[in-house]
Amino acid sequence: MKNLIIRGLSKTYLDPYAGAHVTAIADVSLEVVQGEFVSIVGPSGCGKSTLLNMIAGFIPPSRGEILLDGRSVKGPGPDRGVVFQSFALFPWKTVLGNVTFGPKMRGVPREERERIGREYLGLVGLAGAAGRYPAELSGGMQQRVGVARALANSPDLLLMDEPFASVDAQTRMTLQEELTRIWQERRPTILFVTHDVEEAVFLANRVIVLSSAPGRVLAELPVPLPRPRVWAPLVEDRDFKALVARVLGMVRPA
Amino acid sequence: MARALRLLGLTLRWAAAHPGLSSFAPFVPILALWALLAASGLFPAVFFPGPMEVLRVFGTLMYKGVLPDYLEDSVIRLAVGAAAGMALGIPLGVLVGVSRRAHRLGWPVLLFFQAIGDIAWLPILLIWFGFGLGTMTFVIVYTVLFPVVLNTVLGVRSVPLELTRAAQSLGAPRFHILLEVIVPGALPNIVTGLRNGLGYGWRALIAAEMIVGTSGIGFLMFDARRAGQVTEILLGMIVLGLLWYFVDGWLLVPLERATVERWGLVAR
Repeated sequence: MKNLIIRGLSKTYLDPYAGAHVTAIADVSLEVVQGEFVSIVGPSGCGKSTLLNMIAGFIPPSRGEILLDGRSVKGPGPDRGVVFQSFALFPWKTVLGNVTFGPKMRGVPREERERIGREYLGLVGLAGAAGRYPAELSGGMQQRVGVARALANSPDLLLMDEPFASVDAQTRMTLQEELTRIWQERRPTILFVTHDVEEAVFLANRVIVLSSAPGRVLAELPVPLPRPRVWAPLVEDRDFKALVARVLGMVRPA
Repeated sequence: MARALRLLGLTLRWAAAHPGLSSFAPFVPILALWALLAASGLFPAVFFPGPMEVLRVFGTLMYKGVLPDYLEDSVIRLAVGAAAGMALGIPLGVLVGVSRRAHRLGWPVLLFFQAIGDIAWLPILLIWFGFGLGTMTFVIVYTVLFPVVLNTVLGVRSVPLELTRAAQSLGAPRFHILLEVIVPGALPNIVTGLRNGLGYGWRALIAAEMIVGTSGIGFLMFDARRAGQVTEILLGMIVLGLLWYFVDGWLLVPLERATVERWGLVAR
């Protein structure tokens, strides 16, 4: 089992302007089991992106440890795919060039990696856009490329940092539904960070609620809603609404 | 006056109808003014020849083969100097841009030597290399180098951090990140550096040719001064302007169109 285990993780920054130490994340411990879809939700500025950046290996933790598949995380690596809020596609590569970048870095021969690339583009519904450049696509389409690019590398863990925060509301709902479909088809392990409580509940099997800064784990709630998840019936669903209300109560205490 | 305005209106309409020639249109009034001034007899024709006179000298020098030869000399000098300046400048700029240590060591040195203008090197270069190709090449490489290096550094530092992170988490080794993320990401600035560098290099070349040259457009102009040939001097000036226009339109603009504009890195 390729589980993610995080123990006693903290991150303290030195704020160069204030000249003071700021704690972004305080003593976070959590576990993600292979094949799970976990959301991390918390108020803005609670350090949830910092947490994700540490798991991705972009920034080192101040204390604590991160274990993936029993190995300690030291720096970024292809075992952890990342989907960014800013999409972070390579503007000088075509859509296919972006999606095949990971396999190319692993030394997969051209024909094979293009087959992989086209397969994942098909999965996100962009089979026809392979030869286009990211700048020619809408934000929603760009993020589909971002998801396909991360998945095409078959990571053990998919880290998603508010990936749908910069697309319009209707597109966001479509992307959320598609992500749940992709998860059902492929069962990647996903850790999804968001400030949007409805999104967190809609997507995940389990929601981890972080407190406001410094971020600590307030609660872990299972989401027993059936799949496939579709917005139209779910917005009216009593269990969904109750769960959202409960999480909201923790994220924004009255 | 009314006639002149009508002429201007006609030119503008004509330019709008022929977009290929539209960049020529703004020069029509300038040419007209020049011809008018020359024909008015306000200045002696020896000091202020008209456009037709310059065109005639252009024909003569083309026929004699002097102008093509000199033009070729100047353009080859610029091309060699610019290629060497780029070959040195882009890697150096990438190094100073990505490595904190190289930046700490290199940046003050770059700023120092940038301040010593190309022409300021001529006295010592003449002693070292004499009146020849060595001196001219040094001056051009030197002039092209700094805009390319400084803009490349700027470009490298403006590549979004998330692009590097994305490449890292897709398993890209350092060298591949440099080649596939940093350099293309810095390309808009590199092209700007190239444009500035070529522009400065072109000017430095003409200045160097005036002082140390035995051929080239700069030499043509300075030699004409000795003989009091104002027409040839004017012709040289026009050739300088035109040539730059072609370098920009045939080299830099297509390069930008195929890369940074296509990628949506700069506005079309």
